[in-house]
Amino acid sequence: MITDHDVVVFGGGLAGMRAAIEAARHGADVAIISKVHPIRSHSGAAQGGINAALGAGDSWETHALDTIKGSDYLADQDAVEIMCREAPSDIIELEHMGVTFYRGEDGKLGTRAFGGASVARTYFVGDITGQALLNTLYDQIMKTGVKVYEEWFATSLWMAGGVCRGVVALDMMTGEMSLLRAKAVIIGAGGCGRVYEPSTNALICTGDGHSLAYRAGAPLMDMEMVQYHPTTLKGSGFLMTEAARGEGAYLLNADGDRFMKKYAPNKIELAARDVISRAETNEIAEGRGIDGCVLLDLRHLGRDLIMSKLPQIHEMALDFLDIDMVDTPVPVRPGMHYIMGGIKTDVEGATPVPGIYAAGECACVSVHGGNRLGANSLLDTLVFGRRSGLAASTYVKSVPNTSAGEDFLASEQRRVQALLDRPYVGETHARLRLELGTMMDEKVGVYRDETRLNEALSAVRSLRQRYDKVAVGDKGRTYNQALTFVLELGYMLDCAETIIVSAQTRKESRGAQSRTDFPERDDANWLKHVMVTLRDGAPQISYAPVTITKWQPEVRKY
Amino acid sequence: MKVAFFPGCVSKGACPELFVSTQKIAGPLGLELFEMTEAPCTGAGVISEQNPDLADSLNGLTLAMAERQGADLMTICSTCQGVLSNHNYHLKKDAARRAKTNAVLAESGYEYKGTTTVKHLLWMLVEDIGLDKIKPLIKRRLTGLKVAPFYGCYILRPEESLGLKEKPERKTYLEQIIALLGATPVEYRGKTKCCGFPMVTMNRDAALTMGGNHIIEAREKGADLLVTPCPLCHLNLDAQQPDAARVMRTPIDVPIFHLPQLLGLAFGFSPEELRLNHHVVSTRKALDKVELKV
Amino acid sequence: MEWTIVVGRYNPEGVYKGGELGPPFPAPWSDAPRKTYQTFKVDLPEHAMILDALIQVREYQDESLAVRCACRSAICGSCAMWVNGHARLVCTSRLGEHLVDGKVTVESPPSMPIVRDLVCDMKPFWEKMRKVAPWLENKQPIPQGEEYRVANAAMENLIQEVSCIACGACLMDCESFAVNKNFLGPAALAKAYRYAEDPRDATRPDRLRRYSEPDGVWDCTHCFECVTQCPKHVAPLDQILKLRQAAVSAGFTNNAGTRHADAFADSIKHSGRLNELTLMPKSLGFFNIKAQLQSLPSAFNLLRAGKLPPIIHKSIPGVTRVKAIFKKVGGRFK
Repeated sequence: MITDHDVVVFGGGLAGMRAAIEAARHGADVAIISKVHPIRSHSGAAQGGINAALGAGDSWETHALDTIKGSDYLADQDAVEIMCREAPSDIIELEHMGVTFYRGEDGKLGTRAFGGASVARTYFVGDITGQALLNTLYDQIMKTGVKVYEEWFATSLWMAGGVCRGVVALDMMTGEMSLLRAKAVIIGAGGCGRVYEPSTNALICTGDGHSLAYRAGAPLMDMEMVQYHPTTLKGSGFLMTEAARGEGAYLLNADGDRFMKKYAPNKIELAARDVISRAETNEIAEGRGIDGCVLLDLRHLGRDLIMSKLPQIHEMALDFLDIDMVDTPVPVRPGMHYIMGGIKTDVEGATPVPGIYAAGECACVSVHGGNRLGANSLLDTLVFGRRSGLAASTYVKSVPNTSAGEDFLASEQRRVQALLDRPYVGETHARLRLELGTMMDEKVGVYRDETRLNEALSAVRSLRQRYDKVAVGDKGRTYNQALTFVLELGYMLDCAETIIVSAQTRKESRGAQSRTDFPERDDANWLKHVMVTLRDGAPQISYAPVTITKWQPEVRKY
Repeated sequence: MKVAFFPGCVSKGACPELFVSTQKIAGPLGLELFEMTEAPCTGAGVISEQNPDLADSLNGLTLAMAERQGADLMTICSTCQGVLSNHNYHLKKDAARRAKTNAVLAESGYEYKGTTTVKHLLWMLVEDIGLDKIKPLIKRRLTGLKVAPFYGCYILRPEESLGLKEKPERKTYLEQIIALLGATPVEYRGKTKCCGFPMVTMNRDAALTMGGNHIIEAREKGADLLVTPCPLCHLNLDAQQPDAARVMRTPIDVPIFHLPQLLGLAFGFSPEELRLNHHVVSTRKALDKVELKV
Repeated sequence: MEWTIVVGRYNPEGVYKGGELGPPFPAPWSDAPRKTYQTFKVDLPEHAMILDALIQVREYQDESLAVRCACRSAICGSCAMWVNGHARLVCTSRLGEHLVDGKVTVESPPSMPIVRDLVCDMKPFWEKMRKVAPWLENKQPIPQGEEYRVANAAMENLIQEVSCIACGACLMDCESFAVNKNFLGPAALAKAYRYAEDPRDATRPDRLRRYSEPDGVWDCTHCFECVTQCPKHVAPLDQILKLRQAAVSAGFTNNAGTRHADAFADSIKHSGRLNELTLMPKSLGFFNIKAQLQSLPSAFNLLRAGKLPPIIHKSIPGVTRVKAIFKKVGGRFK
């Protein structure tokens, strides 16, 4: 089946829905395609809050400087300025849409402290901020009546003459493949956390957007910048929000010391995430960890505060570790959480490939540079979701209709059928996924070096060869998850490869990338973005300058 | 064993057979029933939902009366049990609610202190009297009778206020008693579900179909009768059974027993003494099975 | 340790080989397709969740098992299904706490249309959501460039529902929905409460009127199933009851539910106990001839069986205490 829309939004999370709402507001015929119901998107897992310089005593410049410093000066300052300037009005707009933000005594929006922020500017809803925003945006989507192709799995972008003209997708309910023709595609497909094991990410975060854009010729930028969240639950890797530290929780080592005082004497537990993850890794490596973890201590906060401001993580610690954080500290360790890198876009969300826009975690504008501050990601999705929706709705006005695409759809159908027809030779996608994930955690983790990065690259290459033989263990048409898992594994391999290649290229330590063989930051040679583009089937490296407006790079201390 | 006996409204109104059969079995069980004649209706949850303060005060009064008697409060109705335990649970926990309630009760000279426990006869049989003490009282084993338990929502949910988190076995007492009496408990999904009584005035067809479905499911699994610890469920399942059959356009024809009636039969009382001849749906077929005439 | 998990499977494209065909479902789900139950054994630690077992089966034993799951930590709401016949979120349900006869049985609930295996069609759930207009209709004027001023307590009042992850467990086990497919259901009505009580919404009276109509708040049978199954403590029943109170306070009283409550309260106020004889006719409304006639057969049956309550309804001794209570806190029942 072939259908036509002006704008197709690929991904139904916060960025995707905000883009759709904006494009629809400006008269475009918009449809969202998502491989899960939009409410299941990983945006809902964001817990702590969303930043904006709304309060008196705060300013967008301060927010921008915090963000730029947080990024270890790799962020593009024009983009950061835009995000921080527009944040206040975006928060107000969310409030007008109905988000049930926390209020202070005067009935105005209230804040909590968060990592790397010089002023408390994080607006929140309990510890379910992401979920509250997701619910409200989906409510708005129901209000506007934007069409959602839910549980449709995207297999490819359709490129016609170097311009993106749509998405080919599989309807999970029927197994039928369709071409959603469009004049612009906005990708809001989220991150690729499942490339690592363990990870805080849901099983659906497999880098579909990154990979499809990459395969369509769009460059991926700063892929080496992978954020390890310092407080992920022992074992499962589930997220224990930064808001816990924002409310005053301590991080303790085996000696019961607040070790962050050593590494970040000013901000202590509220330093930037990469700083804390490195600190924890050091403490554990030097023998002051407990079973490979450190402790998140909330006992002094008291039951009332925990139950009112942090109920969800309280429940998670009980469910998964049988620990009541009211009287027992929780074991946590750094876990892969977010990727600052992604599809390169400009400040309007446009990628260098005409017709492809991107926003949210899958995009790299770059506002997060080498490290993202907590509560800036929710902001990123909304600001750039909105901007790309607007930009796309303008762009499509000058794009002619087309009646082509049948050939491409047919070739995709053949490709997928060939995959389904593969005979079983002993490889399962599950085993390959686990190998990939544990390998990445081991060799491309908090601390990296040339030897292990090279090993990682060979491992990915050899996994790719085995992947080419993986069979699909279900030949049916109705809700065939085995098929989509195999396709996802392909996306993950693309992401893994670009991450490694970028990490190898950047011969310095900056932000989330810490190389033991190049332990210093090297502004002279490396104040630039690393880009990877697919050319003739292989990743090609190129560079893009970092845009500096007001803030010269400084030594980064917390 | 002395108990502050709260019979509830329906056992003194449309289900007198429940009151009578309870009195009959109290003797052999050693239960001294001190009827709380001055205690008001619990409101059946309807008052609780419309005016929580009023329901707190009405039920607070009842609980205070039981406290004054110095005995546990015994109910014979799942709904009374549910409402009274709920209010007891919250009044015990919430000092503000307690203070509010006592301010109202002061005028009548009562004070709620939170010292009594609310227990349904069903629970008392197993927990306070003990199945081993009941066994010797059985003069007539109900062998061959297949009995489907129907608990009624309010004796099963919400779990916190009914003490089910601490005593999950309470969810199996009916089956235990049925087995003790020599009959076979019937396993079916509807045993823990709603009979439909709360919405019979709002959506009659749906409410009757709800109850009807459960009875039919039990019947298809071989049940000769249903036994329930709630007279409100009994009303919907027995008194309204012909109506349900009409709405569902299918005969149902399954007698519904009250818990004390089942026990009474096993203890040797006659069906007439237990008013088993005063049901809307005839109990004859079930009684035939244990060679009793009514 | 070893766990045994029985999975109810169904594929519209054909019957599964291996496993046992299960019995038909009892009414009202007699039309739901029968499933083939396959038994699997998995090796997982003591605290493992049911979802861990399903993922293990899917990854290492049978790739064709279809299960919706994403976050594994009760945030995304994907994995609600029947566990031993009761709707649960399997990512936070321990295997060890759900053993019946040494095994855990999972399947897609027959109350929802089935797609395949453990994947049900959530369309009914979302259609009901849409029906309650689950979005803010802004109160005018919208503050320019700043937020509405509202008390934090007003926002906290709504957060219980905002915690809803739309997993559907409540609807899957809702008894009223089981016999009346048009009933809006717990999740949609809880959402309805969230917007009706949002101080920034302009359409409260209209909402309350709509939710009081048939298939709305008064069609809930008050059985606490939704409260028991909800993994996020949303307690939809509590929200429905608050919505009922709000609707009555706003004057939407022309329905059997309100009359029923009034009749109940009236009876208790006057005599300290329920007068069953007058309760039914009063609840239905004296002018509702059709309904009054419909309830005559039961009344007649009660009479015949000798169960009709005495015409002269006696008050309880000490009824003055009850009257005093009503006077003090009776609210609209004074």
